[in-house]
Parts: sequence; structure tokens; C-alpha cells
Amino acid sequence: MAFSHELVAECLQFEQAFCTAACPFSLDIRDFIGKLQQGRFNIAYKTYQNATGFPGIVSALCPEPCQAVCPMKDAGGAISLKALEKAAIAHARSTDPDRYNVPPKEKRIAVIGAGISGLACALRLASRKYRVTVFEKSERIGGHLYELLPEEIFLTDIALQFKFEQYSLVTNTEITNLEDLSFDAIYVATGKGGRSFGLTLGAGAPFATSHPGVFAGGSLAGADSMTAIVHGLNAANAIETWLKIGSMHHSWAPVTTKLPHEVVRILPSELIHPSNGSIYSKEEAIGESKRCLKCCCDACNFHSPLMSYFRKFPKRITEEVQVTITPSSLDGAAKLATRYISACMHCGLCREVCPKDIDTGEFLLQSHRTMRRLGQMPWAFHEFYLRDMAFSMGEAGLARLPDGCETSRYLFFPGCQLGASNPEYVIQSYRFLLTHFTDTSLLLGCCGAPAEWAGEEAGHAEVIARIYNQWEDLGRPVAILACPSCAHMFRKYLPEIPVEFLYSILQEKQGWREASFSGSTASVYDPCTSRHEPLLQDTIRKLATGAGFALDPLPMEGRMAECCSYGGQVAIAHPPYAENMIAKRIGQKNTPYITYCSNCRDIFAAAGKETFHILDILFGIGNGRDNGLSVSDRQRNRLELKKRVLTEFWNEEWNRMESDKKLVIPKDLQEKLHKNHILESDLLDVVEYCERSGKKLYDPDRNSYTGHRQIGHMTFWVEYRLAGEGRVELVNGYCHRLKIEE
Amino acid sequence: MAEPKKLICVSCNRELEMKKTDFTYLGHSFFTDLPRCPGCGTVYISEELVKGRISDVEMQLEDK
Repeated sequence: MAFSHELVAECLQFEQAFCTAACPFSLDIRDFIGKLQQGRFNIAYKTYQNATGFPGIVSALCPEPCQAVCPMKDAGGAISLKALEKAAIAHARSTDPDRYNVPPKEKRIAVIGAGISGLACALRLASRKYRVTVFEKSERIGGHLYELLPEEIFLTDIALQFKFEQYSLVTNTEITNLEDLSFDAIYVATGKGGRSFGLTLGAGAPFATSHPGVFAGGSLAGADSMTAIVHGLNAANAIETWLKIGSMHHSWAPVTTKLPHEVVRILPSELIHPSNGSIYSKEEAIGESKRCLKCCCDACNFHSPLMSYFRKFPKRITEEVQVTITPSSLDGAAKLATRYISACMHCGLCREVCPKDIDTGEFLLQSHRTMRRLGQMPWAFHEFYLRDMAFSMGEAGLARLPDGCETSRYLFFPGCQLGASNPEYVIQSYRFLLTHFTDTSLLLGCCGAPAEWAGEEAGHAEVIARIYNQWEDLGRPVAILACPSCAHMFRKYLPEIPVEFLYSILQEKQGWREASFSGSTASVYDPCTSRHEPLLQDTIRKLATGAGFALDPLPMEGRMAECCSYGGQVAIAHPPYAENMIAKRIGQKNTPYITYCSNCRDIFAAAGKETFHILDILFGIGNGRDNGLSVSDRQRNRLELKKRVLTEFWNEEWNRMESDKKLVIPKDLQEKLHKNHILESDLLDVVEYCERSGKKLYDPDRNSYTGHRQIGHMTFWVEYRLAGEGRVELVNGYCHRLKIEE
Repeated sequence: MAEPKKLICVSCNRELEMKKTDFTYLGHSFFTDLPRCPGCGTVYISEELVKGRISDVEMQLEDK
């Protein structure tokens, strides 16, 4: 499994943008651009000024290496950063530098050379109130800038940036021997081909020389104009380290990036040109800045339902989860992550899109198990689903060889939800399979996914062992599956069992009745657990087109398939989150969906999206609309399925023990119970308990009885009236998680 | 404030009275006064209370 804390340490969330890595000043361009996008020109200017020292000179001279690496260069034009920098200067409220109220320092620094590198170093040190003396052999400051720019541009900028700083300038003085200088530190910036005083440059650390206290950089060290400024600015930091701790070792390196190009989502847009031919207006600058993609690695956060909803990245998640699951913090003081540990849909998309293969979902699953083991995961988040799983394998479960067979080559395992959605799906499929493979056994049960998602290790192991034993008893047949989630579980935990999909057999045997959807257009919605089942995905498309559909692909399909919200069974732990996901999924396209997971089908249809199960199309079962099934109806369907298969395929009548009481429930109450995940069978159980024990309350005003009972951990309440002949009119039903200590 | 609901315990044929009731959830214990039968102690919790304060307490304890 691709999860380790070492791997999370490699997360690319904080990698710099390509442009920043290309920028000699390592300007945080995402930050700069973000400020411009908000129209905050003054603060954008400050950012630029702090990074470059001389914004006027840099914006005039910078050769824009950022342009060559900008992903927008082939999508309308690289972001015009230089023009934006000029706009920041032009539209800033004030271009004055900050005035720092810092006490003067006694340390004295000599800068040799009043070129741009020396001046940059002098500027930084002077702003920190060191005593700086700049020696210049000529009569003027600016060095080689005279060859590159009109002097009014650079001299104006130099004067502006030194507006509030003091330094001594000694012109017409060539330093020929460093021994003559009595200073605490020296920066040698004598320019291209300048005097190096016999120093070894770059001696073991950036800007260090072979002589303690003497630093060097700029064109002398082979830097171009921009890098010369960068050297000056950063040499000032190296000098300060020397002055403070006496070390020549200052860590500085240009920013690099490991950001992969494929994580950038490019939105083409046309480059904006300044309408006046020189400087952007404010609106133009904001418009151009908004073209910027602010490149970063946020693939997981963008795609993962959990990370996008909770706005967290893997590093933050692992930190918060670690605090939550670490026993020392399990005193209830730091359970920051409990709810979102339970909100992972385990769709695998976070790992799929991660350039580092970080499987945050796996980490959340492991953490869920840990919390469950320690008894710290609220039982309420998964108890309903675990009881439903037990129901599927218990009362509604069945494992049978076909009549007359002592073993089977094939086994149909439809999963717990297909028959819950509509028994016809299972009955017609099994009927079809038997016509081709007469020795196909039937196993009605559950693959154990609810126990897996609940972090219930022992329960999950029991389910897996049970399936394995049943499979052995049935003759170790090939399992024919209808549900991609079951396949996911089988491949993960029952690798010995060979697996095939019902749909491949339907495709191969052309086993559907005539149904023509010619002229209809639909989109195949791949269930998340089909992500690594390309053959299955292809089969479904063939079946759909074979039925006459024209297919309109969804943006998120194939390996990018998204969970419908059923995965992880998160609806109780976090109802608004689940609803949010459903709305996003059904909003991908207006076309009807065709899917092959009954949960996707029923959830989308219930949310108003026309969604067919592929079996609806092949067997003419459903119409793509909401079947209006409650959680109770879904259990009744499973019982109905068992009864019907026993009758049709084994000629047996199933006489299930049923209560002598029958609940009569108004439609609106049925819907309320469904929304609250309350089973009518549980409420009937409570009524029977009240009637049997006499523990009930009478409301004379409403002429009704009220009582309660704890089932599992949950306490259920009923209000009811006895209507004779075993009929019980249910007036109300509700439940709570608190346990009453009676 | 609506008039308290009149409820009679069927077993004891007595009207409920406000009495201390203990609860536990996720390792936490607390109590409040609720209508109970003075005889057998059978408690009554209205749906309003469940949807309101009880639901809030449950959420808080789950995230605590």
C-alpha cells in the first residue's frame, strides 16, 4: 500500500511555481500575482520591492526567464510578468521604501564597488542600520548599468531606495589592498574583470571567500545583471551571519522546484496587452494577473472529495490524524480528525492523481481501524451499515448449489445492494447465467465492504472467512460479480477466487432481450471501484452502444472515476458532505447516466438524475427514475429476492417467521424514517417489546402509547396506537445515540 | 412554553414527574431532569428534545 510518512514528506504541496524557480530573485510570483488579482497594487509592489531591492531597475532590465517556463506560453501567451511588475510600480499608492525604526549598529562594513551588486548589498545592510561605506574607483555609482539603461532610470531608483538609509560613499578611490581597510566585514563587488585581491571566491559557502570576513559576488563572480543584484542582496545576509556568529557559512541557494508539469490544469486565455502601449491600466493588470494559473501541486485537493471539501492536504491530514489517533491524545482533547477519518469514501482518487502516489485514503483507513480498536470511533457512524451487512448475510443470505449439482464451476455473487435495489436484477441475471452455465451456484450475501469501511477488522475478517468457506463448499467456482465494489474487495482480500464480471458474460453471450435506445444519448458513469478495471469499463460502453445509445463521455471517467458518495458509507457521519458530493456528481453533464453500480444508480436517481443501471437497459427492468425505496424497502427487497429465488430455482417455499403485528405507517413518516436511517423492523421490535413488557406510556390527549428500546447502541422511540387485528398505527418514530442509564 | 405533556405509565398507572436521568455516550456521563414514572422510573424523551439538545450534545461529544 502506498502510504508512509516518508512518502508524505515528499508531498509536492509546497513546491514553488515554475516561474519562481526561474526567477533570479526567487520572487514568490503566486503571492505577487494573488495580490494583483485582488487589485492590491501597493502590497504587490512591496512584495516585489522586497524581493528585488531595486524594482525600477529590475522591471526595466529583467530578461523574464519566467516566460520560458510559464505553462500559459502555449495557451494564449506566457503571463506578462514584467508588464505586471511595471503596473505594480505605476499603480502603487507609494513607491517609497519602508522606513525601519531600528537602532544603529556599531559594526562597519566596506563595500568595494558601487555597481548594482555592491549597492544592493549596501542597501540591505544600511536598512538594518549597519555602518556601510561604499568605495568606488570611478567618479559615479551604477557600474555597468550605464551600458544598459538610461541613467535617469537607474539613478532615480537607487536614490529612491536609499531615500531613508544612510551610507558613506567614497568615489574616485580604488582599493588595492584589503589589509588597508579596517572594517568588520567586506563585500567585494568590483564587477566583471574587476580586482579580486587574490581571493578564492565561493570558498565553501555562497559569497564566502578564502579570507574570513570578506565576501564577494556580482559580475566579479560571473553573474549577469540580475544575478548581480541577487548576490548583493543575499551577500548582505551572509555578512550579517558573519557579524553575529562569526561563521562564513551562510545557506543560500536559488529556489528550485520539483513541481511536475502534468499537475497544472491549463485554462487557455489570450494575453492582455496594455492599451496605451506601455503600462497596464489597473483593470488590465488585474485581468492579466487573473490569467495566471498560480501553478502548484493541488491535484489531490482538487480531485479528492474529502480533501476538497475539508480543504486539507496530505501533510495537514497526517498531522491532524496522528494527533487524533495517538493514544496519549485519546483523552478526548485532540480528536480533530474523527469526523473526516470517517468521511473518506475510499474511492482511491487521491492516490490516482498524486504524482508521488501518496495514498491518503489508505492512511485514513488504517487510522479508522486504529480508532476502532481503541474504542474511540463513534459507533453511530457505521452501526446502521454494519447491522445491514449482518442482515444481508444472515436473514437475507443464501448459498446454494443449483438443483441436481454436487459442485459448481461458476458462482453468481450479485452483492448485497443489487437485489436491495430491485430483486429483478438478480433473478434475471441468474436466470441468464443458468441458461449458459447450468452449474452456477448462487451466493446472496455481502462482500464485507461495510466492515472494511467501518475499520471493523474482526468483523471484516469474519465476512472474508465466511465467503471463502462458502466458496470452498460450492466447489471453488469462478465468481461472477455484478458489483465493482465486490470485485474490489474480492481482488484485495480473496485473491484465490477467480473473478469475472456478469457484464462480460452478457456481452459475450449476447444475453439480453431486444431493447433499442437508438437516438438516445447517455453518459457512462464509471463507479469509483471500476477505476482499475478498463476491460469492464469498455464492456459497459459496448453494451450501451449495442443497445443503441450514443455515448457522450463525462469529464471524470475511466481511471478518474469519482465516487457517487456511497463509498465509505459516510452519509451518517457527515450528511452535508455526502449531499455535496452527490450534487457535484450529477452535475457533470445533463445527459442521462448509465452505470453498473446499483448504489450509483439509486443515489443519483433519488437526487433527480435520470440514471440507468446497465441491467435496466439489457433486461428492460427500470426506467432510470427514482424507485423511491426506503432503507426498510431495501431490506424487504432482499427478503423478497431470497423468497423468489428459492421458489423459482429450488422449488422451495420460504416460510419466514414474521411478527403477528403489522405496522401501518403514513407515507410522510416512512420518508422521515428513511432519511434518519431508521428501519421499520426496529420500530416494530420496540412496539413488541413495549406490548410484551408493559413498559409504555399513555398519552390521554393523543390516545397513543409511547415507548423506547435500545437496539445495538441506538435507542429507538415509537409512538403508536393499537388498531386491532394486530395492526399498529405508527404515529412517530425517532432515535438517539445517548444511552439512558435506567 | 407549551404545557408539559401529560403521560401516564401504563405499568404503574402513575403520571410522570420530572426526575434526574443519567446518560452516557462515548465514555462521557451526564444527567438532566426528565419526565419519569415515580414508580418504575420509565423515562420519556420527546422528539423535540432529541432533535434539539440531545442531537447537539451527540455531535459535540463525537467531535470532542
